[in-house]
Amino acid sequence: MSDSSPQNQQTAMIGIGEYRVGSFPMMTIGLGSCIGLTLYDDSLKIGAMVHIMLPDSAGRTDRPGKYADTAIPAIIKELNALGSKNRSLVAKMAGGACMFEYFGANLNIGERNAERVRTLLKDNHVPLSAEDVGGKVGRSVTFLPGSHGRVSIRRANGTSGEL
Amino acid sequence: MKLSPVQADAIQELGNIGAAHAATTLSQMLGSTVQMSVPAIKAVDIAELGTYMGEEQAAMVAFELQGEIQHGGFVIFYITKESAIRLTNTMLGLTDMNRTMNEMDESAIIEVGNIMVSAFLDATAELLGFVMLPSPPALTIDMAHAAMSTLIAGMGEEANEVLLFSTELTCDEHKIDSDIIMLPETNTLARIVELLENMMKAP
Repeated sequence: MSDSSPQNQQTAMIGIGEYRVGSFPMMTIGLGSCIGLTLYDDSLKIGAMVHIMLPDSAGRTDRPGKYADTAIPAIIKELNALGSKNRSLVAKMAGGACMFEYFGANLNIGERNAERVRTLLKDNHVPLSAEDVGGKVGRSVTFLPGSHGRVSIRRANGTSGEL
Repeated sequence: MKLSPVQADAIQELGNIGAAHAATTLSQMLGSTVQMSVPAIKAVDIAELGTYMGEEQAAMVAFELQGEIQHGGFVIFYITKESAIRLTNTMLGLTDMNRTMNEMDESAIIEVGNIMVSAFLDATAELLGFVMLPSPPALTIDMAHAAMSTLIAGMGEEANEVLLFSTELTCDEHKIDSDIIMLPETNTLARIVELLENMMKAP
């Protein structure tokens, strides 16, 4: 989960439950109910990206990136270790969609994920500057810490945008 | 849950029988031959799901497994978006490939998924003497990874690895490529394995 060398600008793919911290480009593809969360520190030009699947770890510690309540402390801790202050971090998130309207049990996972992330960021005094969540559409997110923490989104319906 | 080679073989054979019935129904609906691959069982770490399914657009009709085991996992009829348009064109007597999909296409895809998954589950139920009923269908036409990861997030148990059990069904004449994917919860899988082992032991 550490930084790659500065000259290696290959995009890191962040799979479900994974996170990376550094200054290199990062990407998550095909977010459905999952959340792609980025934290960026403009003073140090570094950031973190995590691919969260569920809101609560219920005490599990094997994959901190998988759950909102373990992922957010984990990436903040790593950024703190690199010199970032919580107040200089800016968060952006995307995903949290409802892909299958029929399944009642699934219905709220995306929404619950997004809600939990908002609460946890607030608890950790990290401002959430932008989000693109909900709806019934898959999203892929690219995060470029080297370009002022730019976050761009490509949606399954063919539209795209910046956060 | 780890499967022994014998258990994996038994499940593969079960999939073979289920998929063969599904292939027959697809073949009848299309009025042409449908080929079927050998069923593949893959244990996939959720972090690696992206290497199996990515941003490609696909139509997926998902059914939750119900019946003797509630929330038993999912069975999914998966078809690439291009194939889906060819499929509904064939069924509806249309030829335009560049049109956008409308409600009629969606209904047709849901219906095909319904018929195929029912055939798959009927055949496996008959063999096992264990009833897995499909829930009403839910369709999404989106990035394959977005749909699949959402189903995995909706599974009752907490697993870092899922068992993807898929059989490819193709129709050369209409260039249609589809899959039937089973995503069982551990309790369903354990029950299926138990029933298959009993069958093999029987004289």
